[in-house]
Parts: sequence; C-alpha cells; structure tokens
Amino acid sequence: MELIEFEQVSKAYNGKVILKSFSLRIAKGERLVILGPSGCGKTTVLRLLAGFIQPDGGRILIDEALVAADGRNLKEPEERNLGMVFQNLALWPHLTVKGNLEFGLKAKGILKSERERRIAETLQLVRMTASTNAHVAELSGGEQQRIALARALVLYPGILLMDEPLSSLDFELNRQLRNEVLRLHGQFGFTLVYVTHNIEEAFDLATRIVVMKRGKIDQVGTPEEIGEHFGRRLPKSELLQEDEDGGKRHE
Amino acid sequence: MGGLLKLKRVVLFFAVVCLAGLGLAPILVMVSKSLIVNGQLSLAHYASLLSPRTLILLRQSLELSCVTALLATALGVPLGILCARTDLPLRSLWAVLFTLPFLLPPYIIAFCWSLMLGSQGFVALLFGPAASQAFSAWFVGFPGCVVTLATTFMPIVMLLTMTYIRTINPSLEEAARLFAPWPPVLAKITIPVIRPGILLAVILVFLLTLGEFSVPMFFRYDVFPVESFIQFSAFYSFGAATAAAIPLAVITLLALLVERIFLLEKSYQLRPGHAEAGLVIRLGASRWWFFACVSLLGLLFVVLPLLVLLFHSGSFSTYYTALSKAGDSLVRSLIYATLGASLLVVLGFLCGYFIHNRMLGLWRGMDTLTIFFFALPSPVIGIGLISLWNQPATNFVYGTFLIIILGYIIQYTALTSRITLSALTLIPPSMEEAARMVGAGWIRRMVLIVAPLVKRGLVAGWLVGYIFCLRDIGITMMVYPPGNDTLPVRTFTLMANNPTQLIAALCAIMMAATLVPLGALCLFWKRKGVAHGAD
Repeated sequence: MELIEFEQVSKAYNGKVILKSFSLRIAKGERLVILGPSGCGKTTVLRLLAGFIQPDGGRILIDEALVAADGRNLKEPEERNLGMVFQNLALWPHLTVKGNLEFGLKAKGILKSERERRIAETLQLVRMTASTNAHVAELSGGEQQRIALARALVLYPGILLMDEPLSSLDFELNRQLRNEVLRLHGQFGFTLVYVTHNIEEAFDLATRIVVMKRGKIDQVGTPEEIGEHFGRRLPKSELLQEDEDGGKRHE
Repeated sequence: MGGLLKLKRVVLFFAVVCLAGLGLAPILVMVSKSLIVNGQLSLAHYASLLSPRTLILLRQSLELSCVTALLATALGVPLGILCARTDLPLRSLWAVLFTLPFLLPPYIIAFCWSLMLGSQGFVALLFGPAASQAFSAWFVGFPGCVVTLATTFMPIVMLLTMTYIRTINPSLEEAARLFAPWPPVLAKITIPVIRPGILLAVILVFLLTLGEFSVPMFFRYDVFPVESFIQFSAFYSFGAATAAAIPLAVITLLALLVERIFLLEKSYQLRPGHAEAGLVIRLGASRWWFFACVSLLGLLFVVLPLLVLLFHSGSFSTYYTALSKAGDSLVRSLIYATLGASLLVVLGFLCGYFIHNRMLGLWRGMDTLTIFFFALPSPVIGIGLISLWNQPATNFVYGTFLIIILGYIIQYTALTSRITLSALTLIPPSMEEAARMVGAGWIRRMVLIVAPLVKRGLVAGWLVGYIFCLRDIGITMMVYPPGNDTLPVRTFTLMANNPTQLIAALCAIMMAATLVPLGALCLFWKRKGVAHGAD
C-alpha cells in the first residue's frame, strides 16, 4: 500500500521552476533516498511533504488523505504525523535535551508520566540517557545528531524525513550514524524519506533510490539497479553534477 | 605595511580616546564641581538626596519607566511579530505608521493628546465637555506620560522584534511546527529564542523614559530629569542639578550591568543579514480580526493624534507666522542634524570597526561606554558639557553650535557604531584580507573595500543619526547658546505663552522636516537599488 503520493506536483520560486510535474509513490516502511546535485529540487520535495511550503499545482497524499492540492495545504505540518531531522539539526538552543524532546509531547497533550516514559525510552534507543538534562550546546556534533533523531522519533511518527542530516560529519561518525538510522528503522518501522547528495549514504540506506535532476525524476530503482545503470553509463561525478541554478535554500 | 598598520592603530586609538574623553570628561568635571561648595569639599548638594522628596522622585521615575517599558513591550512584541511574520494585510504600512511617533520629539505627541482632550478637542466633540474635562483631569499626569512615552518608544520594541525574528534560523520554527500549531511555537520557541533582543529593547525603553523630561514636564509629573532641569534652568544651581542627575546615572549603570550580565555573548542561533525567509504565519479566518485590532490601535495612538494636530494648525497664515517666528531655528535644525549625522557616521564607522576587530583589548569597554553614553539621561550629559566647556578659554565651543554637535556625538555614537558593527559582521574577513594580500594599505582598504561593502549600513546609520539629532531636545535644551536654538527647542519654549494653533503649525513643520528628507532619501535609494541590497 502507498503511504505517500505526489501527483503531478509543481513548484516555482519567483518564476523559477523548481519542480516540474513531479510524481512519486512511496510505500509504507520503505527507505527512500532522494539523491541529486544541489539545486535539483530534492529539499523542495521534503518541504512540500512536511507542509512548510505549498505546491503550485498537483496533489500530495499521505496515508490516502489529501494533504495538499489546488495550490494550498489542506493539512498543517503538525497534523501530518511526521518527524524530521534537519540539515542543521535545528535543536532549540534555549532548551535542554529533555525540553527538546518534551515540546512535541506536550503539544500533543500527552500526560506527564507517559511523556517521561517515552523520553527515557527514546533516549535509551539513541544511547543518550546520560544527557537528559544537558543543554544542547554542551553536546558534541554526534550527540546532537542523536538528539535530533530522538526528537523526531519520540512521537512515533509514521514517516521520518531527513534532510542531509549527516553531511557535516566526518567519515567515521557519518558511517556510525547511518547504522544507527538503519537500526532505529528496524525498531520503529517508520517510512524513511532521506535527502542527500552523498552517493555512499544513498546506497547504504536506501531500499529504493530516486535520482533527481533539474526538478524532475531522472532515475528510480533499487540501489543495485541504480548502481548498475550509472555504473555502465555515467561516472559518479556526472551523476552529481551541480544543476545550473546552484544549491540555494529554495531548492 | 608596518607603517600602515601603525597608522590604523593610531587612527582608531585616536577616535576611541576622543569619544571616551569627550564623554567621560564632562561627567567627571560635573561630579567634581558638585562636590565643592564655597571652595570646600562638601556633600551639601547631595544632602537633598536623603530628603523624602528624593524618594518620591525616585519612585515616580521608576514607576513611569517600568510601566512605559511594560506597555511598550506588550504592544511592540505582538506588533513586531504581526508585521514581520504574518500575512496581515498592509503589514509594511503598519510598521511605518507605528514608527512615526518615534521620529518626532516626544512632546509633540503629548501636545497632540492635549489637543484631543482640550475644551474644543475631539473627545469634547464626541462625548461632551464634561466628559472631556473629567478624562483630561485623569489623563494629565502619570497616565498621559505613560501613553505618550509608550507610543513614542514602542517602535523600538517593535522594530527590534522584527529584526530579531527575521534572524532566527527558520529550521528552529519548522522543527516545532511539525509538532504544534503557531501559538505554542511562538510562545515556547520563537519568543524565547529572540528573548535577548526583546530584553535589550525593554532596557532601552526603560532608560530612554528615565531620561526623558519634556513629556513629564508637559504633563506636570515630577521625575528626576524634570527636577534636574528645573534646578539648572530656573535656579541655575549646578550642584543641585547634578545631585538630581546622579540617581539617573546610577540607575543607568545598574540597568546596563543587568544587560551585560544577562545578555552578553548569549548563544542563540541567529543568522546574519540576507538570509532565507522563515515560515509565514497564516492568520486564516482571524486575519481581518487582527487587521481591525491593529487598525484601531494605529488610529487611536498615531493617526488620530497626528490628524488632530494637522487639523488644528489651521490656515496657511498660521504656517506663515510659524515660519516667521521659527524659520531660523528650522534651518539650524537641518544643518545641525546633517552635520551631526555625518560626524556620527564617521565616528560610528571607526568605533564599529574597532569593536568588530576586537582591537587593543579595549573593544568591549568601548562598546559598553558608547551604550552607556546613549542610555545616559540627557540632563546628565547637558550639565556635564556645561561644567566642562563653560570656561573663557573654551568659549569657542561653549558659545557656539559646536557644544550641541559635541552633545550629539557623545549621546548618539552608539547608534551608528552598532549599525556599522552589524554591517561589518556580514562581510567575510577574506574580503579585507584579499585586499591586504595584494598590497593595499589600511586607508585604501577602508575606502575602496570595507566602506563600499558596508554602504547600506553607513546610509542607515546616517539616517538614524539624522533623525535622532533632529528630534533631540534633551541635550540641545540644556546647552544651546543664545541664538542657536533648534526647532524642537523653539517650539517647546513657545508652548507656554502662544496660541495652540501656532504650536500645532510648528509641530507640523517639525514633522515635515523629519519626514520629507527621509521620504526623499528612501525614494532615491530605492531607485538606485541601495535599499534592495544592490551593494
């Protein structure tokens, strides 16, 4: 069964087309990685799915419910049951680790005892129980990544969005956290939509890879299919050649 | 290169020492003079500080400052959020409209209120003379001061909220929006993240209210600045005026200490300058409701008072009389404001550069000092300047407009310095380093690389400096030599015994003197593309 559906979605910023008739179906429990160069529109796909921006045309469905259509969002971000890990992590600097995790739980009206249980459980899963009352600024880069993951997972989201979350980490930490994501996916069973320009990350994490180029899907397939396709026809550098408009936030 | 490096240090050191000396020397001389009575060291002037009246003045000054700061914050923060982040109709227009009172000397707003509440005023027309009289009796005093000063200083809170809210990393709010609707996101994430900016605004409003004397004087509400001014101008008692000014300086120091302790180096994720837009708060069905509330506020506190003023100023003959009575002071106002703003930009640029580059280990002290001078109530600076420069040898300063310009420089350098500092933080250090690598000396680098890159900041600094110099009454009133008064001072002194129509016309001319050049410059820059960051 399809959990997420993009149907002919388009998006432009200041007259510049970022997504053109974008259609994609993502199955429940899938680990989909969107791979592409800067400026290809991959982050726009995530932001549309999260409800931070509105599509200009087309429809988006989550769990068979229409969340965006006719150029407007029909469901607010908090109504979509999503978790997200941002590229810059976006941990709230004025709150402790516990405060960061508790915000969403409180907003959903979850009782204190249940909140405490979930926070303890999630921190245990990301192996950060010792830092419950620490301020996020006191944590190392890797620890902050784990807390960002914990914050996204504490509400048991059906879908986890990750926007190049490991791009700033060194090779070893990047590899460790990829394994962590795979382990957590196994435990929570969420659907993962992961955006990256790192080929190794994509091949490591994905059950299916979407390669995007200039606002359109260029290739879709399993890592093996994609590897075989590009392995024969294109060098990796060509796969990730930067689009003409460069990598801007509007991507 | 060594020589040029030395030149850089000499120029900056000279600028910094000049500013520190110009500001600190008057205060030290003022305090030392107040300690001498009949040639003897004495605390006689300060004995009055122990009187019950001092306690009343202290309580009233603090009450007025606190209530004004609270009201300005209660209005300014929501308005800042509405204008900066929502889809409120005409939000840019509202931001400009609410800023208008801040551009004018505060007593003009007080005068507008007195016109509205007068026997032929708007309230009397609507509700009858009895209601107007009763309301007027209640309003004159503490409520009038609070309403006027909150209207005047609220734009500080609003504009700082708008500025800070635009510098929040958008992901912080986006991450919260995945869990919660806007109200808790604003309450738990946005406002706490920009809290340092809001606190800074609150402290600024508190201090500016504390030093304000024209409005409390207008509404006959006794506070320290009024006491100090009366001791100085009516009794010509320097010692007593200084003694009345000292509590203001002490409170200012304490407030700045609070700012330093709680806000300095506060780590919050703010982005510099040109950055991506954050999420827009869609007000949905409440959009027009908010619009109605903001319109009502704008109408009541800005549009109506200013319209009443314009209406009351009446015919062209009144304007002709006003110009014949105060045309010379209008010209002087424009000249002094232009000169003051230009000097402020140069000094602010040097100080900003000095602080930005954390030079000589003195940069933090310099930053604190400029802010201290800005926050220092104008009677303190005014009395200090007179104490220092009123000597036969320095009459070329004391007896001319230079004393006014000195006052502007001391009090307002913090504004241009901070604006330059913000602009400098947007330039990658590599820009100047690259110029240095190809052999450009410090002056060449400043003139050809750094100054053009911070052009927008310099222009903004000049504008802000111009407005503050033009609207100044606190310093000018204390120090102006005979025949050198400015329009705000002339208007204020004419208020006591001239028809209200004439005063209204003078206030309208003052408004035009501020807004016309401001509008013309903005239009010019917009055409040139400066306003849109073509630099």
